[in-house]
Amino acid sequence: MNITVPTNLWDEDTDAVITSWLVSDGAQVNEGDLIAEIMVEKIQHEIRSPSTGSIKISQPAEAVVSKGSVIGEIS
Amino acid sequence: MYLMENERKLTIARAMAEATAQEMRLDEKVFVMGEDIGQLGGVYGNTRGLIEEFGEERVRDTPISETAFIGAAVGAAQDGMRPVVELMFVDFYGVCMDAIYNLMAKNIYFSGGNFKVPMVLMSSVGGGYSDGGQHSQCLYGTFAHLPGMKVVCPSNAYDAKGLMTQAIREDNPVVYLYHKGLQGMGWLGTEAGANVHTPEDAYTIPFGQANVVREGTDVTIVGLGMGVHDALKAADKLAEAGTSAEVIDLRTLVPLDRDTVFNSVKKTGRLIVVDEDYQSFGVSGEIITTVVERDHSVLRSTPARVAYPDIPIPFSRPMERFCLPNPDKIVTAFNQMKDN
Repeated sequence: MNITVPTNLWDEDTDAVITSWLVSDGAQVNEGDLIAEIMVEKIQHEIRSPSTGSIKISQPAEAVVSKGSVIGEIS
Repeated sequence: MYLMENERKLTIARAMAEATAQEMRLDEKVFVMGEDIGQLGGVYGNTRGLIEEFGEERVRDTPISETAFIGAAVGAAQDGMRPVVELMFVDFYGVCMDAIYNLMAKNIYFSGGNFKVPMVLMSSVGGGYSDGGQHSQCLYGTFAHLPGMKVVCPSNAYDAKGLMTQAIREDNPVVYLYHKGLQGMGWLGTEAGANVHTPEDAYTIPFGQANVVREGTDVTIVGLGMGVHDALKAADKLAEAGTSAEVIDLRTLVPLDRDTVFNSVKKTGRLIVVDEDYQSFGVSGEIITTVVERDHSVLRSTPARVAYPDIPIPFSRPMERFCLPNPDKIVTAFNQMKDN
């Protein structure tokens, strides 16, 4: 299952930056776990795992992302 | 059945907030005060979630009057409370130094031990993101120089949590300094190495225990806070050239773990100190003295330091970059060492 930046975290169509991945590539995660933080104009938002499994990170920390961007995958 | 715990990386910001929340659940005397530490969750994220759980009585946003609220915290601490107070930038110490240094640091002594002052003064340190000379200093050497306060500075989330728990449980005043570039706040620079696995259950890290974060045999690199990450990157570069560097994270300045520093240099024979605080009259000189006054014969080379030059920190990004310690400067310092 893709890990997607939610479209409802912030209002404007501003880009965000992944400030930290809070799990390593390949780590085991549970659905709902906090896995990353992204920042939009100095406000930080949380990204949680959409399912349980092993994580594959496709967008590294400091990457610029937008609403709906795929930043990784849980398999 | 025992299930292996999933990896749980935290930023230092989250680790500090988690430790504070856990102590607040255990002890109703613990409370937090400072500028923007309530609704905003702290400019550096280190009080996020606290006001939602504990309310405005125990998580108190203050006016911009450090003298008043740090002085109030000293009184509260002497009266049995355990305040955790934030000075937003350590650079602002000038306006409240009487509360910090004549009250917080000394009242245990002045009262002949009849009062305890169990408070934590947390403050952000460090630069690297072009915020000028009044928002970018480290100054931990200044606090360590003045007797009466314990002084800590974590380099990663695991240490940040354990040191914060220890700080809140201490009956002495603790100055808890965290580097802005390690908080996981993107606009302040990001050091991914600071985000490490951090257990959820509370634990303490005793003060005065440095951590050997990388073992080596040819040179000892000593640092704290951001300097540890510079040292680790330098150690990688040195390893490519066939040099084995040992890296020590001091974690606490007061008390200082002089034994770990000395024993490492005794093994490697060479010492480089990395310090983002000003070079003269500070931490780097104290670390070198620690070795030299115990037994200078363990040194194969003259010690070196990679520290901030003795000038106010420039706003200009290229000028600030020129002044800051970095891995290349550490490698150069090693290459310029001349063995006896």
